[in-house]
Amino acid sequence: MRVKGLFNKIAQSVLIAAVTLLFLGGLATTGHAADDSLKTVEDKGTLVVATSPDYPPYEFQATVHGKSKVIGMDMDVMKKVAKDLGVKLEIKSMNFDSLLVAIQTGKADVAVGGINPTAERRQSVDFSDIYYLGGQSFLINKTDAGKYKNRSDLKGLKIGAQTGTLQYNLAKQKIPGAQVKGMDKSTDLVLALKTHKIDALGIETPSAEAYVKNDKSLAMINSGYKLDKNEVGAAIAAKKGSDALINAMNKSVATINKDNLTDQYLADAGKYMKVNTQNTTMWHYSNYFVTGVEYTLLISAVSVVIGVLLGTLLALMRFSKNKLLHGLAVAYIEFVRGTPLMVQVMFVYFGIGIIVNIPALLSGIIAVSLNSGAYVAEIIRSGIDSVAKGQTEAASSLGLSKGDTMRFVILPQAIRNIWPALGNEFISLIKESSIVSIIGVTDLIYQTNIVRADTYRGVMPIFITMLIYFVITFLLTRVLNHYEGKMKHAR
Amino acid sequence: MQDKTIIQVEHLEKKYGDTEVLKEIDGTVKSGQVICVIGPSGAGKSTFLRCLNLLERPTSGQVLFEGTDLVSLKESAVMNLRERMGMVFQNFNLFPNMTVLENLKLAPVRVKHLSDGEAVKKAQELLDRVGLGEKADAYPASLSGGQQQRVAIARALAMDPEVMLFDEPTSALDPEMVGEVLQVMQELANEGMTMVVVTHEMGFAKEVADEVWFMADGYIQERNEPNAFFADPQTQRAQDFISKIIGA
Ligand SMILES: Nc1ncnc2c1ncn2[C@@H]1O[C@H](COP(=O)(O)OP(=O)(O)O)[C@@H](O)[C@H]1O
Ligand SMILES: [Mg+2]
Repeated sequence: MRVKGLFNKIAQSVLIAAVTLLFLGGLATTGHAADDSLKTVEDKGTLVVATSPDYPPYEFQATVHGKSKVIGMDMDVMKKVAKDLGVKLEIKSMNFDSLLVAIQTGKADVAVGGINPTAERRQSVDFSDIYYLGGQSFLINKTDAGKYKNRSDLKGLKIGAQTGTLQYNLAKQKIPGAQVKGMDKSTDLVLALKTHKIDALGIETPSAEAYVKNDKSLAMINSGYKLDKNEVGAAIAAKKGSDALINAMNKSVATINKDNLTDQYLADAGKYMKVNTQNTTMWHYSNYFVTGVEYTLLISAVSVVIGVLLGTLLALMRFSKNKLLHGLAVAYIEFVRGTPLMVQVMFVYFGIGIIVNIPALLSGIIAVSLNSGAYVAEIIRSGIDSVAKGQTEAASSLGLSKGDTMRFVILPQAIRNIWPALGNEFISLIKESSIVSIIGVTDLIYQTNIVRADTYRGVMPIFITMLIYFVITFLLTRVLNHYEGKMKHAR
Repeated sequence: MQDKTIIQVEHLEKKYGDTEVLKEIDGTVKSGQVICVIGPSGAGKSTFLRCLNLLERPTSGQVLFEGTDLVSLKESAVMNLRERMGMVFQNFNLFPNMTVLENLKLAPVRVKHLSDGEAVKKAQELLDRVGLGEKADAYPASLSGGQQQRVAIARALAMDPEVMLFDEPTSALDPEMVGEVLQVMQELANEGMTMVVVTHEMGFAKEVADEVWFMADGYIQERNEPNAFFADPQTQRAQDFISKIIGA
């Protein structure tokens, strides 16, 4: 199961620290209410579930009746839970790393995604009973099936596993002499296996089965690990102190367990995976890429405009004689430049989200714009500094106001000087905006990962995406050069 | 007219940190007068000129412009008076992002609120006057130094200043271009413009100036009518300076 540790821990600590600060600042309402978790869900009539649909057969994106939908075993489990509660189900897609943060910050009521209810995890969230026990397997190349029959055959080999997962730790502890290679995405790991960079891949049984079914060159062997079910079972996560909601959900989980409903759910998921993998040409998925490009361009375009306006404002504030304005601008620029965009994106979505609920796309745009503003401010400042002092003197000797001098004399020359640097900033903004995929904005990177998970093809979607990014930045560079040429003319 | 005082400087001092660049300067510029300020490099000539329109704020003393003490005014008030003193710089300081015409139009439109049509008409007249009527749509970078400086003079004149301040207007020019700029300045003087000119062109000073002020070490060491000054300098500093210039 997916027990990603490291990143999630970092992200969580950052967010929890931020959230604590907000609380201390008295910005949020205080006072611990009684457990109204169930009542809240019933009152609004929807159960909001956060999930990361890149993990077939648990949850993945597939085209159902011509529409792209999130489906899979976990989704069927949640549909049943919602039905039993008498409410509608609303699915929020995001990165796996963000799931638990999402319920802690109220972005979602519950989270599913093959989440193991480990003791460590139980300290920060509550879990329902386990609805599915996966079991651990190894995925190998079919050509090796004769050589590797069980775990003991894997001694001293290269074993792949998702970084920070249970599989990763198990491989380290239980396979003598193994070299364990960690990667972030199972799609990448499968690719590594097929290209013989690793000899076997520690993976959950249902996922292994899905891969074997869809890729004739792969085979699987049982791991034979003996494990605590809290380490391997999947459960529904909810915010701490939601006993009422958990108890209500446990009734559904009990039925699921009694009637072995997950068998049916997995079979249904398998059908869609077949449909999905019948046509794995990239053309078949062009809609995904188009949507991705649309979002990437939307985020970039809006962020460039806001970034330039904000950057200009900040740069002018830096030149202001007013100490407060100057100090604010400097502090803002230093702070934003000193923290990773990824954390800023998560902070806007989850942190600020506690006070005002900002949708993922808007959060992404806000974070990227605010970030870009700081960098643009520094570029503009250097541009203003680059304009000869005599220009200001000539302007003021003519009686021009400071504002007019800036607007007509300094800024036009500054922009010409910094145009290449600004162009670089635009281009890196397009590329870096891909980070918004972690909060579930369906930009190009997010869509690429969906396509990779859907088609079981590791490289092709990346290649296509690379080409798309290149074409976008190439065209943008031409446009920028064209305007640079025009401005040179006016020199 | 000749007697109306345009600028009166009293006890003007300027320090940069501990260095005293201008010490106790007094002086009067009357309407229609041409003052040439000469002296060795580092004497404080530029600083003095820039204190007249408060591009530099004097450390102490008074700069009276038509009776108003600029030093006591706030920057915003100074701005309103500064437009009435045109300034021409050694390095022209034309705005490279604008055409010649736009350079001339900007301040009249933005500061004096002339209509675009009026500003264009005026700019064209001035360009004709400095002999650059055809260059209205050119960018400064495509002009020679002499042409740029003539545009700069026209740009300052476009604000109808009461006095023109020149800071070594020909020092950055190739020798063959000095003449065309000096000629424009001479015409301006002949038309009665009040001028304060920092220059190393002794010929111009002799011919055009009403008074020569000789500056050295932050003082005005000597001031006189030009023929008398060049024929019979009173101070040792002035004698050294003149013999060096003529010797060169
Ligand atoms: N902004 C400044 N800061 C410090 N010293 C200055 C500054 N401007 C001029 N000075 C000094 O003041 C003196 C006079 O300079 P300046 O007025 O330019 O002389 P001139 O124009 O006669 O050559 C020089 O010694 C110069 O180094
Ligand atoms: Mg000088």
